Amino acid sequence: MVPSARTPLRTDRLRAVNVPRAVTVELNESGRMTVGRPDGRTVGQVEAILESWRIDDEWWRQTISRSYLELLLAGGKRIVVFQDLLTGLWFMQLP
Amino acid sequence: MSRRPTSSLAACVWIPLFSLRCEEARHEGLAAYPTALLAPDTTRKLWQVSSLARHAGVKPGMTVCQAIGLCSALRLIEPDPVHYDERFANLLSELNEVSPVVESAELGLAYVGTDGLEGIFGEPQKIIDAIRRTVGRSDGRTVRVGWGKGKFVAWVAASRSKPDEAVIVPLGGEREFLASQPISVLPLDSDIHRRLRQLGIRTLGALAAIPEAAITSQFGAVGKRLWRLAAGRIAEPVAGRIAPEPIVAALTFFTPVGERELLVHSLDKLIGRALKHPRRIGWRVHAVRLRADIEGGGSWLVPHLFKDPTADGDRLAAPLKTRLEHSPPTGAVERLVLEFIAFAPGTTELQLFARDAQAAARAGHQRALQSAAREIRMRVKRSSLYHIIEVQPWSRLPERRYALIDYEP
Repeated sequence: MVPSARTPLRTDRLRAVNVPRAVTVELNESGRMTVGRPDGRTVGQVEAILESWRIDDEWWRQTISRSYLELLLAGGKRIVVFQDLLTGLWFMQLP
Repeated sequence: MSRRPTSSLAACVWIPLFSLRCEEARHEGLAAYPTALLAPDTTRKLWQVSSLARHAGVKPGMTVCQAIGLCSALRLIEPDPVHYDERFANLLSELNEVSPVVESAELGLAYVGTDGLEGIFGEPQKIIDAIRRTVGRSDGRTVRVGWGKGKFVAWVAASRSKPDEAVIVPLGGEREFLASQPISVLPLDSDIHRRLRQLGIRTLGALAAIPEAAITSQFGAVGKRLWRLAAGRIAEPVAGRIAPEPIVAALTFFTPVGERELLVHSLDKLIGRALKHPRRIGWRVHAVRLRADIEGGGSWLVPHLFKDPTADGDRLAAPLKTRLEHSPPTGAVERLVLEFIAFAPGTTELQLFARDAQAAARAGHQRALQSAAREIRMRVKRSSLYHIIEVQPWSRLPERRYALIDYEP
């Protein structure tokens, strides 16, 4: 029998899924909220905030405090962003 | 229909953590690391855990997240049920060399009927030595063997044995042997086990000391069977399987056929028909023969012996099609006959071979995945296939819920 080419899977080769991606959230000249990427490209202009919620967790080790917003962008796309309330930075993530 | 051969004297051959042992056999050096096999179902929990991993606190049924938390060096392995079934089928074939009466119970556990073998090998120890020599060719380091009257006594003996020392229960000594054994050797669920312990029953002897009627009134028919096993009143014989008679599928052409494509198409039909034959259920085909009656007399014959017996139509057809291509019949064919003439047993635990369609589908699916993965690796020069596993599916933080792990089918 031909030996299998499979190799054992190692836990140090685990890759996280749905890691938050850094974004910028700014108000443009007309006062509308715009989501952009760190390299300057625009993700979209926000038409409406559909939902908001907050997660406070893991206070017993490294506190996590996030304010999530589900946004409707111009063109109809929906995204979820959150602001890290400890650093003030914004991230995009699938819910 | 012929009766299944049985044997009241049984040797139990048990390879604990059989699937994990299969992986260790094909990955050199793996045994030196704490290792765990993922469950073959969709739960993505741990199924089998090596002793090194157990020392670190890892247990079967844990989630990957829990296991990694306890043992960061843990090596996770995707299960390969088709491979384990093949290995176990090979083990059964090897045991068939010692005795014609072999019964598979689950992966890694089989019973060998030893009635009459004393005339060939001698006393039970010699029979066990013969079994060890046969099994030792592949799994000698880990196999445990027990011998006694009936399957249950043999199983308990095997579970008490050591890798290098079999346990033999002399005839007539079953009750005495069983009396000191813990109740965990009985085939009982956790609820009954807990209730028996609450009643202060720790050994089979303690269970057998209670009147049968009292146990039956507490636990019903299950309790009655457990009591009878504990008291040595049941000695279930090993039930072997009879290799099926050859299966023949034939096609007579209205007008003799010379086109190879039509012959290949007919061959596919014949293989499909023969595979569906009820006599073949539970068996894989080890040897086939394709013959043709040629117009005006004469015949053509292609025998083929499979190194790895199979129940998959494509694998059965491949060597016959090659022969049809390279050395076809010398004239137009009037009748094409396909014969399955030798068989190898399948296994029951995963029921891969008990249900033909499932067996073929699963094995075919695995091969298709392997082939696709090979092609991707050739194109992108690295492994880019991943499996999603649950890490903390309940987490409020989305990035904690799932992770990707390299996938090599």
